[in-house]
This record gives sequence, structure tokens and C-alpha cells, in this order.
Amino acid sequence: MTAPHAVLAARNVSKAFFGNPVLRDVSIELLPGRIHALLGENGAGKSTLINLLSGALAPDRGEILVGGQPIAGLTPREAHRRGVAVVQQELSLAAHLSIAENIGLGSYARRGGLIDFGRLAASVETIGAKLGLIESPDTPVGQLPLGRRQIVEIAKALYIKPRVLILDEPTSSLAAPDVAMLMRLVRELRDEGVAILYISHRLNEILDFCEHVTVLKDGAVSADRPLAGLDPDGLVRLMVGRDPQNLFPPYVSHAGGDIVLQARGFRTSAAHDVDFELRHGEILGIGGLVGHGQEDFMMGLYGAVPAAADEFRVSTLGRQARDAPFSKVAEAAAAGVAYVPADRRKEGLLLPHTIDFNLLLPLFARHPGERRRRAQETSITERLARRFGLKGDRGRAAQALSGGNQQKVALAKWLPLEPAVLLLNDPTRGVDVETKREIYAALQEMAAEGKAVVLLSTDTPELVHLCERVMVFHNGRVAAVLRHGQATEEAIVAAAVGVRKAPESEAT
Amino acid sequence: MSSGARLYGRIQWRRNDGLGGLFVVLALFAFVYVILFPGILGLNAASKFVQGWFPTALVAAAETIVMLTGGIDLSVGAMVSLGSVVAASTMQGPLGLFGGVLATLALGGVVGAAVGAFVAIGRYPAIIVTLAFSFVLRGVALLLMPRPGGFVPASLSDFLAGVYPTTAALLVLLVVLWKLFQATPLGAGLIAVGDNAEGAYRSGVNVAAARLSAYVASGALQACAGLYMAAQTGSGDPLIGEPMTLAAISAAVLGGVGFLGGQGAMRGALAGSLLMSILINVMFFLRLPLVAQYIMQGLIIVVTIALPSVRAAFRRMR
Repeated sequence: MTAPHAVLAARNVSKAFFGNPVLRDVSIELLPGRIHALLGENGAGKSTLINLLSGALAPDRGEILVGGQPIAGLTPREAHRRGVAVVQQELSLAAHLSIAENIGLGSYARRGGLIDFGRLAASVETIGAKLGLIESPDTPVGQLPLGRRQIVEIAKALYIKPRVLILDEPTSSLAAPDVAMLMRLVRELRDEGVAILYISHRLNEILDFCEHVTVLKDGAVSADRPLAGLDPDGLVRLMVGRDPQNLFPPYVSHAGGDIVLQARGFRTSAAHDVDFELRHGEILGIGGLVGHGQEDFMMGLYGAVPAAADEFRVSTLGRQARDAPFSKVAEAAAAGVAYVPADRRKEGLLLPHTIDFNLLLPLFARHPGERRRRAQETSITERLARRFGLKGDRGRAAQALSGGNQQKVALAKWLPLEPAVLLLNDPTRGVDVETKREIYAALQEMAAEGKAVVLLSTDTPELVHLCERVMVFHNGRVAAVLRHGQATEEAIVAAAVGVRKAPESEAT
Repeated sequence: MSSGARLYGRIQWRRNDGLGGLFVVLALFAFVYVILFPGILGLNAASKFVQGWFPTALVAAAETIVMLTGGIDLSVGAMVSLGSVVAASTMQGPLGLFGGVLATLALGGVVGAAVGAFVAIGRYPAIIVTLAFSFVLRGVALLLMPRPGGFVPASLSDFLAGVYPTTAALLVLLVVLWKLFQATPLGAGLIAVGDNAEGAYRSGVNVAAARLSAYVASGALQACAGLYMAAQTGSGDPLIGEPMTLAAISAAVLGGVGFLGGQGAMRGALAGSLLMSILINVMFFLRLPLVAQYIMQGLIIVVTIALPSVRAAFRRMR
């Protein structure tokens, strides 16, 4: 039951997107004068819960209560009016409006129908002084660096004098002094009786100043308790504890072949100083929280973003292919490096075209100007379809397939090129369990054939159960390289959030 | 000056960022024009020049308002034609002069509201909705008035397109009204919606209302342009607006108004349309063939658009 004094609460809310449940029967209560942490891995449903609490989305089932009163059809406007402010991670600012206009947007004080710029200027000055916002209020927000925009976003939340303040990873782009300032400010607000929901991946921050924690796990609440008595390891355990449910094939190592890719001091704009080697038959996992450089690392590997390295060797088909990072995608493709993007709808497939056409596309690129041979094509697509369990008429448009089957096509189409290295960016994102299982089996089969697979995944258990080794990124650097067996979910998440293993004596 | 007025003044001043190049080019062409044709500085010639520019300025403003929300309007030309037809056919009837003016404006607003409803509430792409409307409006204009005709009272023609600097005053009025609108929550919301619709929605901006208001204002301005052109010629013409769609878009683009929404300022679009007006006059004065002006217009647009990215590339190389 909801305590009468919760200022904002969700009661048994559920939400699904396109039949995919994202939140199941979740309840949370925000009390005045309490800093409440919301924790969970990528994709656990945190953002969706915030969107429900702030009225940006409506729950499929369950209720949102503001001031103990259930509100049907809550909109962001209504939530604002009732004092619910959100500091978005995806900033809600308009780049071409000034700082002042952005801060007041949606809740301007008026005078005679016009924005009361006098009062706006005064509020911006007061809030700006608190936040160290020294830029002139007429500056267009687009001219500010990201960290400063984050401060404007916070100022915007304070402008409505919130009773509830939701902070979604507010420190991810802030400089250290600003983080300290924000902490001070949040504590001040708490003392004034504001209810605060704090989302962060920095566990130390959370332990430092939150009092209560709700942990989301696969869309359900797995813990809702005071933080007292928890240490970083305890928090990590709360985030990951789950049963893999025989989703994964038994682990077999096919590694031990020759080195196919080797680099020292590999770097892109977002990934720094990466040393690694990759062997034939190996599945190398790439872990870490979204946006810590791992995607950039992958893109750099196949020449989609500029990359450099102190030492870089690619040897495919038993010969030395080159000794510098690829500067173009075409070079990478020619050397047998294939990339399967995460966004199959935008980057992986041509949805209006047939499944067959999509399966053959990389081959066309490899042999431009050659006549197509129908019989040969059919034999190739038939083989691929059999191998990946693609059923039905392959003359259909690719968009007729389910997300999971689209992903299989996006993966399968590279195999006729016999790539030596496959770079997979989150191949099971948004894919149902059965297809996941098939994709896992396909990955192992490829490794067994001697292909080297680099698997970037936001789904930690995949890294645990499929990979020979896992490289975990944190702040653009490799925080840990874990061998199979060592690479437990706890170890991966701990490395991803930057927790150094605490000495045993400190654990409770 | 109050602190509020000062803040708003500075905000508006900062919107000149990025328009410096355009203003310089504009000043350059204006200078050339004055050198070639010093008579333009007289009150009479200047009025005539402003009258030639005025309809383009109106449609450039109309297009800008819509583009700021992230939309586009391809029905400008047809709406201008329809405005001219309706103005020329209502004023001789029982509605009279003022009734006709009001009817024309109301028509523009209603058509704008219909387009806006499809775009803002139905969430159909603006480019498709306005393309469809351009055919419908053109058809209606031709049904109402298959060939040029109708009648606009001479008093109105004299007032708007005679010897008085009425149009200049109307332009000032337009700018003042726009500044006032920009100082309303709805006006600020309009730019926010074009810039970051999701963010604006989460901030409590009424996204649909902001978009809808843009199309209504834009439609009324387009009808005004039609009315003005009817006053200039003394009659209505169901095809007179045809070149206006592209003129409006070119002026806006030249003035730095972005296709993605939120970016740009009305003053840029007005300067863009003025530049094209001067260009046409200069080329006329130099006795260049009329068609050459198209080539020149196109080149100027391409160069102006490419300039910022070329400059950025140079900066990166250094």
C-alpha cells in the first residue's frame, strides 16, 4: 500500500512496447526529504519508469499517484504543474533558444500574455548563482559544451520549484567540481523537504548520499530497501542476481588458433589506449555501460570512425594483411572484417527489399559488375536460410519478418563472404528468447569454423556465458579483461561502474 | 529600461549570430544597386521598390514561421493565388472593402488551420500535406476564377500600392508583431518544438498548439500576400502566386532558416528575400536576359548554403 505521505508514487505499473514487456508490476514511493536511488542494468526499465512517473508515457496497467491521489492520463505539463521536475539524460533543451528561455520553457511567468522577462531574469539569476551558471542568460544553449548544458537542464528543473526532483544520470557529463556542487544542492533540497529520485551508475555516489534504493531487474523490482548496510559489492549483487534459465548453449572454447587481429595503444576519439589480441575461433566479449567508448572502439576497428594505434596487425587467410588501422570501411571489408550493426532497421537491412536480396547484398558489393546467376544465388540463400532457421517465402520484404528474424538476416548476409572477423554490436537487443538461443548457437558455430567474433553486448549474461574473454570498458578505457570463469556478472558490472574490488575486510 | 526588456533585447540581438555574412552580401548588393541607380533613394522610387519586394517578404516570413517548427509549406503559391482571387471577388459584393479584406484573411487562417491540424494533430508529414493542399487550393482558385478578373477598389490599390510608403509601414508592423509573438510562451514554444519536439513536450509545451498556431499565422500571411498582389494589379489572378512557393523557400534558406526546425530568424528570411529582390532589379537594370536571374538566384543560394561548411572545413584544417 502507498503510504499517505508519498509525494509521487507508482503502484503496480506495467508497460510493454510492441508486445515486449519493459516494466512488470513495478511499485515505487518517493517520500519528501528522502534521496531515493534507482538502480538497474542497461535495459532494466529505469528510463521507462521515469517516463511513467513524469507523465511522458502512460502505464498499460497500474496507477501513478501524485500527492497520494491517482492521476489518470498524467502529462508532462500536468506533472510540472504538480511540482514534478525531471533532469533528463537526453536533454530537453532547445539549442537555438537562450539559456533563460530554456530555463523557463513550459512554465513561463506571464505578464499581459507575454513572458515576464523581468521575473525570468531574476529567477535565472537566483538559480544560476546556486548552480554556478556564469554564462550570460542570453547565450544560445547550442553554443555551450555538453557539461554546461547539463547545468542548464538542472536549472530548468529547479525553476518550477519542484516538490519531486528526478535526476537521470545527472553527473554523467559533469566536471568534478560541478558534481560536488550538485551533491550539495541535492542535499539542500532534501533538507527543504523535496523528494528526490536519483539515477546513477556511479555506485559510490549512491552510497554516499542516498538513503533508500529501488533496484530494477528485467523490468521488475528486485529490491526496495534502505541503503544502510550495503557496500558496492552488495549493490552489484542486487543488480545482477538472476537465473540464466538454460538460455545459453554449453560453453565450448574454440580458441587457440592463430592471432588474427592484434593492437597496442589502439585509440579513437572516445576509446583510449586499448591493447588487445584476437584469435581465430575466439569469441571476445565487449562489456560496459552504454557510452563508455566500446561502440566507438568497434567502429574504429572496421574503419567507420578515425582510429590510430601504436601497433596494429591484421592477418587473415594466413597472411599479413596490413599493419595500420583501417581508414575506410571498404578496406576492412576487403580484409575480411564484417560489422553487424545494432540498429538493424536503419543500418543493417534494406527493409522494403526482399529477404533474398538482403542476404545477397554483401556479395553484390564484393562482385560489382558481374552478371547475376540465379541458380547460384538461390543455392546460397537456401543454405543461409537453413542454417539460421529462416522459414517461409524469402521473396517477402524484410520488414515482414519479426525483429529477431531480421537480426538473423543481418547476421547471415555476411557469411557468404567468409569473413575472418565478425564484429557484432548487440545482436540480441530487443530479440525474443527463442531467437536469442538460435543466435547464440550460430555464434558458437562460427567460432567453431575458426572465425573470430567480437561481441559487444549490453546483456551481461551473454558475455558471461558465451565469451572466451571479456573486455570491460569504463570511461573510454579497458577497465578489466576477464577470462571465462572469472567473468561473472558481478565482476563485469563492478568493472563497468568503476568499482575496484574492495578488500574483503571492508565487506559486510 | 527594465531588466526584462534588457534580457529580451539581448536574446534577440544574439539571434544575429551567423547572419553577418548575409548582411554583408546584402549591403554590398544594395550599394551596387544605389550606384547603378541613384534615383532609388527618392521617396517615390523607394516606395515602388518596397512594393515590388513586399509580397515576397510576406511569403518568406510565412515560410519561416512554418520551417521554424520543423515543417515546410509547399502550398504557398496556391494560397497566394487563392487569396488574390478571393480578395478580387468579394470586395465588389455585399461584403464591401473591409468585409473582403477580412474574408481573405480569415480564409488564409482557416486553410492554415486545416493544414496545421493534419500536421500537428494527425502527425502527417508537412511536405505531403502541403503538397496535396497546393493542388486543392490551385483547383479551387481556378474554379472560382478561371481567368484573371474580378475587381479591387481603386482606393485600396492607391492605399497599398500607390505613392504612399504604406508597405514599409506594414513591414515594420509585421516585424513588431513577430517580436511580440516571440515574447509569448507560445512563440518561444514554437522554436523549442522545431528544435527538440520531445524535449519541448517533456517541458510542458503544448506541441500541437505551437505547430497549429504556426500554420494559422503562416496561412494568414500568405492570404495577405495574395490580397496585396490583387491590389497591385487591380484584379484577381488564379495563377499569380505560382512562383511564390520556391521564392519563399529560397528566401528562407538564404536567410539561414534550417529545414530541421528551430534554427534561423525572421530577419534572415526577410534579408534573403530583399537580396533576391535587389538582385532581380540589378539584373533588370543591367539588361541581362530575364531568365539569367534564375541561374543567378540558384548560384547565390548554393554559395550561401555551402559557405558555413566550407568555412568550418578551413577552420578544421588549420
